[in-house]
Amino acid sequence: MTRISARLASTGAAVVLALTAVSGAAVADTPATAPAAGQAVITTDVNFLSAAALKGIVVIPLQPANPTFDPNAGLTVTLPVSGGAANIPAFYGDVQFGGGLLFLNLSTGRSVTFKQFDFSVANGYFTAVPNGSTTPVPLLDPAGDNVINRNGLTQNLNSSSFQVDAEGATYLDAKLGTTFFTAGQQVGSLALSYTPAH
Amino acid sequence: MRKTAANLLAAAALATSLATVFAGTATADPAVLPNSQDIVGVGSDTTQAVLNQLSADYNATVTNPSAPHLYSWDAIPAGTITTKSGATPITRPNGSGAGITALNANTSATVDFARSSRAPQPTDPTTDDFVALAKDAVSWAAPSGGNAPANLTTQNLKDIYTCTVTNWTQINASLPNATIKPFLPQTGSGTRSFFLTTIGGGTAVNPGACVTSGTQENQGSDPALADVNALVPYSVAHYIGQVYFGKGSGADVQGPLTIRSVDGTAPVDTVNKTISSAFAATPYARVVYNVFRDAEWTATDVHGTTLRAIFGRGGWICANGATTIKSFGFLPLSSFACGSVTHS
Repeated sequence: MTRISARLASTGAAVVLALTAVSGAAVADTPATAPAAGQAVITTDVNFLSAAALKGIVVIPLQPANPTFDPNAGLTVTLPVSGGAANIPAFYGDVQFGGGLLFLNLSTGRSVTFKQFDFSVANGYFTAVPNGSTTPVPLLDPAGDNVINRNGLTQNLNSSSFQVDAEGATYLDAKLGTTFFTAGQQVGSLALSYTPAH
Repeated sequence: MRKTAANLLAAAALATSLATVFAGTATADPAVLPNSQDIVGVGSDTTQAVLNQLSADYNATVTNPSAPHLYSWDAIPAGTITTKSGATPITRPNGSGAGITALNANTSATVDFARSSRAPQPTDPTTDDFVALAKDAVSWAAPSGGNAPANLTTQNLKDIYTCTVTNWTQINASLPNATIKPFLPQTGSGTRSFFLTTIGGGTAVNPGACVTSGTQENQGSDPALADVNALVPYSVAHYIGQVYFGKGSGADVQGPLTIRSVDGTAPVDTVNKTISSAFAATPYARVVYNVFRDAEWTATDVHGTTLRAIFGRGGWICANGATTIKSFGFLPLSSFACGSVTHS
């Protein structure tokens, strides 16, 4: 990664963190009421962040999603589990998440907000509902090596690769007026922890 | 040796294909002694036939005769087997548990993977990687024209297998006044383990004294199961393969048994000849696996690379095996699930 791209990535991250602080009140998700617990931690590659920043694209987590940034690891976004009924080791059910992601294209001034994140365990992809729509869009796919285990009631999924879904790429490009997003684009990695209601 | 083996393999593959086309029978043990670098599996009865076919299909694509081929040893007959060239002879593992035990007791010089129809258990080493192959389900079967009803609830099954209920009239007063004869597969069976855990609501029940253990799983031809009062757990996929796709042969057939409903849900979609979607959504659905030693599964050497290239996400089976998997009654997994690793 070049020094310029690193700087842009840092700038983008700073924008992300700054905007997150002010965006929560306006766009906070519906409070979770389900007794299920856990989180999805998306660790975003610095390479993805810098490439996005060079195109003027930033991704802003919306509360209760929680961002952190490390210059080496990149941006980490934690989406809290808000509900669901899933058996991840048996590959069935769904897990729902609170929070959202705002995708913003600083070059075109266009944006799209995704909320109501849902992980379809059978299909193996995350969908989310964009603002102005009620139809979920397949957005992100766990890819690469998936490792699943149980620790008591808690089910864990670690995926070495987290990628942009083909439909998500098409949708994002159209909404943001860009050609940046592509099917299978490497975003980072995923660590999902889910404890069903009990 | 390799050229001869390759020729033998080609002949075996052709014979396999012809047998499959004309007789619909499953292949059995390797027709030749696998070489030391070949990938060799043992274990589950439930998945042995589909693994045999996947092995033949995969080997037909291997053009380099010195490259690792794929082989799978059946769960029976009992006895000692030498799994590959230079291997230590072992007692043939009969079932998932026995296969996993053999995997952990040996090295890749003898066993590379264990077929498993059960998920990881807390007692399994965390270094065993369960790699998802397909979806199956377990129901129960009883002889056609016998005294068993068309449906039993989970509570009924739990009561029967703990011997709390021993007469059909305790299930329903309109049923014959006769003693129920519950059977279970051998103790190393993944189907047995899964069934007992599922009817226990997640905790395995201890079979009562009225239960007879030891019938070979998924073999309705066992004369003991012809009893009008018999019932036994049965792999739905294996049943579909036997009944609808002619995959049974010899003793590996459904015999007089028909598969029955649980909690009012029929296990088989008889129109589409597959596990019913309703049953696949119940706790009686399960994933079947192949189990590997983690150090080998994650290794970057030729052996580890080959294992992942065959069984892993996007590997040969996940990319090419769906048709074969369906033809043996199983449900293919999504690209996300197929080849994913689960461990205890």
